[in-house]
Amino acid sequence: MHGYLISLLRDRSAAEDLTALAFERLYRSRLRLDRRRGTPRAWLFSIARNAALDELRQRRRRSSYDLGEDRVDDRASADALEDVERRATVLDALASLPLRERELVLLKFHGQLSNSELARALGISESNAGTRLHRALTRLREHCAEAGREEVA
Amino acid sequence: MRIIPFPSDEPLPGQEAWTAELEAALRGESQHPDAHAWRELRDDVRALAPAMTPAFEVRLAQELERRGALEGSAEDAETRMRGQDSAGSPRRVSAGDASGSRPGAFARHRRGSWSLASHRRSAVGAAATVAVALVAALLISGSHGSGPVIESRAPTQRPPAAALNGSARASKGAASSSPSSTPASSATSGGSAASARAQASPSIAAPSATGASSAPGRVQQLAASITLGSTPQNLQATSDQVAQLTVRDGGYVQSSNVQVQQQGASEATLALRLPSARLAAALAAIGRLAPVRAESQSLQDITGAYNAAHQQLSDAEAEQRALLRALAAASTEAQIDSLHARLAASRAAIARAQSSVSSITARASTSEVEVSILGDTRAGSEGLTLHKGLHDTGQVLLVVVVAILILAAVLVPLALLVAGVARARRTWRRYQRERALNAP
Repeated sequence: MHGYLISLLRDRSAAEDLTALAFERLYRSRLRLDRRRGTPRAWLFSIARNAALDELRQRRRRSSYDLGEDRVDDRASADALEDVERRATVLDALASLPLRERELVLLKFHGQLSNSELARALGISESNAGTRLHRALTRLREHCAEAGREEVA
Repeated sequence: MRIIPFPSDEPLPGQEAWTAELEAALRGESQHPDAHAWRELRDDVRALAPAMTPAFEVRLAQELERRGALEGSAEDAETRMRGQDSAGSPRRVSAGDASGSRPGAFARHRRGSWSLASHRRSAVGAAATVAVALVAALLISGSHGSGPVIESRAPTQRPPAAALNGSARASKGAASSSPSSTPASSATSGGSAASARAQASPSIAAPSATGASSAPGRVQQLAASITLGSTPQNLQATSDQVAQLTVRDGGYVQSSNVQVQQQGASEATLALRLPSARLAAALAAIGRLAPVRAESQSLQDITGAYNAAHQQLSDAEAEQRALLRALAAASTEAQIDSLHARLAASRAAIARAQSSVSSITARASTSEVEVSILGDTRAGSEGLTLHKGLHDTGQVLLVVVVAILILAAVLVPLALLVAGVARARRTWRRYQRERALNAP
């Protein structure tokens, strides 16, 4: 969840705040948790997503997915240049996605949510969640493939 | 540069199959050639986000452990979190992250917590609802005490002349046998004590015979009062039964006043004249008509007055006899005229004495009885029976149902309004949140 928040907000401090906030809200609302409506993981990510969107709305900041110094740190800690280049491609492809689709990819990969959990977190139907995920990953794959072809060329 | 081996350019299968393949690939259970590519993509996306700083991670685990959200110690929670993360994807923590975490994240959001206040608001709302329900029930039950007043006055009923004469003769015969002459005295028996007993026990027995306390050879005037408990619906019927009993026992109803309310307290007052010889039986019979709330009896000794009136009558009769003898021996016209005048005066004195004796005899032979019948709702609880219990239960349930209906009439529209506002507010907040994702 922390990774999802920091990727979405590109702000480590805000991500930590919202991580703490999400856990606190989850703890306080644990009595209202209805497992028939979704797993605790989906509940938690739903809370985190709402908090993140509130944060984005309040700050009116454009989420350009520029990780700044964190990105430099990650590069420095990478073992192989190949991994760095591959992740740079993924980063560019991810940044080219609309924020709505990017958020879906982040929820899927960071939260490891199933389609039903995605639907619960996004407040949409499961089939709609599957369709949107399919579309987002397809577009991400296309962007990555296009970037790869440009690099080869 | 290495090209990420994404799945082939072949058209993707159906969405469900595609989703199932993706899930299996991410779980590491798929042998599909593209499965590794999906996992690598996931790891790359996750690796783009810097890992949680150890300091924040530890503080988060400690906070969760403190709140009981996690079992075990903070160290266990930290280990669990790290282990869970390593199972999903590799995470890296840079050296500088340890100091990069900002303290006070929990404290800052704890001040802005909302859930506890929400629970308190819910509790206050529930308490207010219960209070309103109780007040409404009390108001509804209290409104049953008022209602239109129906007042009726029954004409005075006169007993048959034969009954009155018979009882008077019986009393006169008893009084004539008392030669003693004592001053009149009065006594009251059973007054307040009997009333207290009746108040303490609604099912008090019928009053005992008042004549038991009278001394032989005395002329006494009796009076009694009795208070019965009834319901407003039965008040008129009980009054009629009292009147019928009075006539049956040779008495009559001197006056009556019946005041009936549709709901609440009603009252009937009857002034009876009963033969003293039948007083005890009549009171017992009246006491069986309804629960006795109070009962009192009084006795006044009028032997002196009776003897004085009787003596005056005897003196007047003796004077008349003497005058008649003197008239027989009179020889002159003047003497005859004078004796005729004195005889006329003597006859008037005899008539007055006889009237006085008759009046006192009537007082002794007839007793005054005042009957009060209270027709309030409390009477329904006296003499508890299964029928009354079921009736009261029905009344209580009716009040509860009415209270619930009134509350529902007030609260349901209010709840619908609040629910609508809350739903609109949620929709608006969701719309606002989704707008944040529409930003370029």
